[in-house]
Amino acid sequence: MTDRSLAERIDEVVLGLASEVEMAEIEALCAIDPTVAAQLERARNRFAVLDDTADRMPIPGDLWSRVETLLDEEAVDEPATLASADIVNFAPLHRTMKTWRATALSGIAAALLLAAGLGWSLLNVAEPTVIAVLLDDRGQPMALVEGNDNNKTLITLLENARVPEDRVMQVWTKPDVDGSPVSLGLLAAQRSRTLSVEGLPPPRADQLYEITYEPLGGSPTNLPTGPILGKGFAKTPVY
Amino acid sequence: MLGVARRMLRRQDLAEDAVQESFVLVWRKSHQFDHGQGQAKSWLYTILRNKCLTLLRNRDREIALDPSEVETASDDAILELAYNRLEQTNDLRVCLETLEPNRRMAILSSYMLGYSHGEIAGRMGAPLGSVKAWVRRGLLTLRECLS
Repeated sequence: MTDRSLAERIDEVVLGLASEVEMAEIEALCAIDPTVAAQLERARNRFAVLDDTADRMPIPGDLWSRVETLLDEEAVDEPATLASADIVNFAPLHRTMKTWRATALSGIAAALLLAAGLGWSLLNVAEPTVIAVLLDDRGQPMALVEGNDNNKTLITLLENARVPEDRVMQVWTKPDVDGSPVSLGLLAAQRSRTLSVEGLPPPRADQLYEITYEPLGGSPTNLPTGPILGKGFAKTPVY
Repeated sequence: MLGVARRMLRRQDLAEDAVQESFVLVWRKSHQFDHGQGQAKSWLYTILRNKCLTLLRNRDREIALDPSEVETASDDAILELAYNRLEQTNDLRVCLETLEPNRRMAILSSYMLGYSHGEIAGRMGAPLGSVKAWVRRGLLTLRECLS
């Protein structure tokens, strides 16, 4: 075991291949050495994109009440344990906690779900410097595009697109009027999301945005090949 | 979140349990959360994945298995669908492309389906030693490619 590199052991923790003992060892190392903790976080981030490939499924409505019930059961157990250990009686505190817990719990859950569901970056998008409404071939608005100087682009779909199973929506823009379209990314889950691209000039008024159907994984040529779902030119909002 | 749990556990009821228990843990551990921006998702998914792995490793669900509740999609189909959902320009995908198929499958099976070395060996019909070597070498290639 000791002849294996730390990097390999960390990767195995992230993949889920490490034994409980091994996991505990790595966690203990993380607790005493921030560089190991950072290494573990980097390894997690390398694979995290695979989590986004799972189907998006709605959380059942009764889940929060089930979570609360579990926490209630716990609260009943804990004071007894603490009392017998002859420490401090936390029962009054627990009772107080219970009254505000439901609110706090749903708050935490909502915040985390928002972060997890929409992508954390969405919460940090600056005010848009350009906005484009993409129209479909019938002239109906199908998506709203909001771009800012950091080239974070929020795409809000305005209708449910019927994407064929072997196709994916890809978002394009033309930073240079005479240049080629550049991919901003895929809307793999057919949901609104924020796309982030490095190295593009800040978006400007009249810049073209469009969404096309492309083969899974995105256009093989890195240029639009499929039919256009929506197309529009950016405007600068008046604040 | 539910989608990740469902993909690993293959059962709606177990997946809901995993998400539910993860939120109980989130509540209990919320004081440990480092509010560094961008880490909330990683933290949440780590808790969820560990919960799913625990459920998988401790499962006695083979006994109580109701075929109607079990997802029937094959492992290959699930992995292929997920792989195809990765953008072609994504760094992880670019690096996964460079791996030999066996190594890639072994790594994806462990991360997405929660398989152990032994389970991967069983499902791929390969000796345990080979699977361990595939994973080890594949991870090494990925680290070099992604660094």
